[in-house]
Amino acid sequence: MDQSEIDALLAGGGKSPKKPKAAVKAPAAESAPAPSAPAQAVAAEPHKDGSGHVISELDTVTAVTERESNKVMDQLDQIGRLVARQQQLVTDMMTHEGAQTAGAQKAIHEVMSASKEIQDKVFEAMDLMQFQDITRQKLERIVYHLRQIHDYIVDLLGTGLKSDAERPSISHTIAQTGTTPDENKAHADAVIEAFKSQKKG
Amino acid sequence: MKILIVDDSSTMRRIIINTLSRIGYSDVVEGENGKSGLEKLGQGGVEMIITDWNMPEMDGLEFVKTVRGQNPAIPILMVTTNAAKEDIVEALQAGVNNYVVKPFTPETLKEKIESLLG
Repeated sequence: MDQSEIDALLAGGGKSPKKPKAAVKAPAAESAPAPSAPAQAVAAEPHKDGSGHVISELDTVTAVTERESNKVMDQLDQIGRLVARQQQLVTDMMTHEGAQTAGAQKAIHEVMSASKEIQDKVFEAMDLMQFQDITRQKLERIVYHLRQIHDYIVDLLGTGLKSDAERPSISHTIAQTGTTPDENKAHADAVIEAFKSQKKG
Repeated sequence: MKILIVDDSSTMRRIIINTLSRIGYSDVVEGENGKSGLEKLGQGGVEMIITDWNMPEMDGLEFVKTVRGQNPAIPILMVTTNAAKEDIVEALQAGVNNYVVKPFTPETLKEKIESLLG
């Protein structure tokens, strides 16, 4: 939730802001890529029976985390560009006459080595941002279960409206969804190999 | 080589694009779901597809089946959170050439891409 959303909430005396949350632009959102489908979905009107409130809130969480993740990615991109620029400047410095002493060359190589390490860490941090997409998919699975519970209660009571929101393709289970990079690689590779062998045979 | 990346998460598309650029592939086009992926594919020049599974409008499985109806040869790599054995088999039966489970390391993506292109 950003400041404009908090302000809207306070102005409404604790009621949710009427403006769809995804439509509220963050100050730095102009440089961020366009929101993907989940972010756009937040702009949808809540369900008429009010049942979609929790679901809508969860959709907001995923939209906001995606937007914020992209801001982190922007910063990492910027750090990467600055380090590349620094490396270029140091490379240029190596050719200067004053930098030909053994001590200067050693220092320059140490700076280059540290720059490479920073660059690698930036890439690693970018790769770790996969957690956002994985968390989003886990939340989508929870939303799916919430809808099922809601519809079950409507059936049971014989009153109320069933959730009519679009049910996007979601993962069949979150039990096997990994959090550590490549933790399912060996399993997936074994299934692929078995499939290919079976096909050949 | 032009690579089409289809994923509804803009963060994930950026991660894949970053990984690809580090291993020498910088010519990429993006789609937010299967439907927009088909549109980008229709514009021509795509030599490889990396697609997610769980997406709105048209999911990755339907996208792969549609692509395979038009182009049996183009290499397709599915990158998804779906890790169940039956999901992997279903994707392979639909026509994907290889499969990566999220979260992945850049080394894995590189290995899979190279095996598809090799």
